[in-house]
Amino acid sequence: MPAGHGLRSRTRDLFARGFRKKGTIPLSTYLKTYRIGEYVDVKVNGAIHKGMPHKFYHGRTGQVWNVTKRAIGVEVNKQVGNRIIKKRIHVRVEHVQPSRCTEEFKLRKKKNDQLKAEAKARGEVISTKRQPEGPKPGFMVEGATLETVTPIPYDVVNDLKGGY
Amino acid sequence: MAFVKAQKTKAYFKRFQVKFKRRREGKTDYRARIRLINQDKNKYNTPKYRFVVRFTNKDIIAQITSASIAGDMVLAAAYAHELPHYGLEVGLTNYAAAYCTGLLLARRVLKKLEMDDEYQGNVEATGEDFSVEPEESRRPFRALLDVGLIKTTTGNRVFGALKGALDGGLDIPHSDKRFAGFSKESKKLDAEVHHKYIYGGHVAAYMRTLMEDEPEKYQSHFSEYTKRGIEPDGIEEVYKKVHAAIRANPTPKKSEKQPPKEHKRYNLKKLTYEERKAKLIERLNALNSAAGPDDEDDEDD
Repeated sequence: MPAGHGLRSRTRDLFARGFRKKGTIPLSTYLKTYRIGEYVDVKVNGAIHKGMPHKFYHGRTGQVWNVTKRAIGVEVNKQVGNRIIKKRIHVRVEHVQPSRCTEEFKLRKKKNDQLKAEAKARGEVISTKRQPEGPKPGFMVEGATLETVTPIPYDVVNDLKGGY
Repeated sequence: MAFVKAQKTKAYFKRFQVKFKRRREGKTDYRARIRLINQDKNKYNTPKYRFVVRFTNKDIIAQITSASIAGDMVLAAAYAHELPHYGLEVGLTNYAAAYCTGLLLARRVLKKLEMDDEYQGNVEATGEDFSVEPEESRRPFRALLDVGLIKTTTGNRVFGALKGALDGGLDIPHSDKRFAGFSKESKKLDAEVHHKYIYGGHVAAYMRTLMEDEPEKYQSHFSEYTKRGIEPDGIEEVYKKVHAAIRANPTPKKSEKQPPKEHKRYNLKKLTYEERKAKLIERLNALNSAAGPDDEDDEDD
């Protein structure tokens, strides 16, 4: 009999719970709130059978477009042929984690706002743009001794000692 | 000596998955907890309150709690050991005391949220099933009963506490199936029997039986009652007074606590990181100054 292509085919390891992480799932998953527009990671929890997304979406990140009683609507990009479609799926909250992809951006935004406010108070104009890493500065090499190496003239007699 | 095969090898321990801490302690039923705490996602941060009732051997603990990732937040709590302030000094873990504790908690919460004038609840405690009617301005305070790990049999004391909270004015979804006095045959709650339990009638009946049949046992068992002059016929009056006192002033009394006594330290206090670094520098300097005068060579650091 050939192997089938069912909904959960080839997910034996993908949906498996981790080593020593089986059983009751921690309650913080149920206490997190999600708002529309936030970024979330879809990560299937094999212990909860309801509201599971298809295996394609495992590991994808998308934005929240809908919030219902027990599930969240996530809009995920999927490449179909030669184009990328935004697909809207509904996933139970156990299979969703808040994404940290925008965390660095949000922190930088806060810091920049603070820097700008301070600069305005001082009356300066600052640029908060990120600059790429430039070439490394030059430096003096410490503790270097000079050793001049010259080639020695070819000595036929000694080199033929091995045999000819 | 017979060879005993080691039952719990190193491999066993390596693969062993411990249950959650509170499950190991046998204190939390996570299956029930998940269902009690789970709030609809489209209600975002609206708290879902639990009416938690727990019994110890000598005390009753009733709390209104809401869950958060940092830990559960207690909105208000009432203990049976506070009932002496309201005039009840004996029998602090019986059905009637549970009713008083539930009532005290309900009035406390409503007072805290300034809803106590609107929602008086059932002032005259009959044993009938009573549910709060929603008033015009605010909806009643809703909580869900959390029994913990006890067996929910008919007539259990947690339902006494539940009845106290309901009569106090809280909105707790319930059915009268488990109140004391519900009969399985007729499938109805006998309000008379429940009324008896709420006012300690079952305790009074036992007192009367013992007084007739075994006076010595009565003396030993109910010595605290007789010390305070509580007769079987006067028990109902006592509880009526306690209910009135609770409704009059449910605010908790703050007890004066002395600052803790300083004890002698029997072990050394742990040093901070700064202190440890300073000590190391001192030791190195001492070593260098001791070794320095001996030989004046260039020492590597």
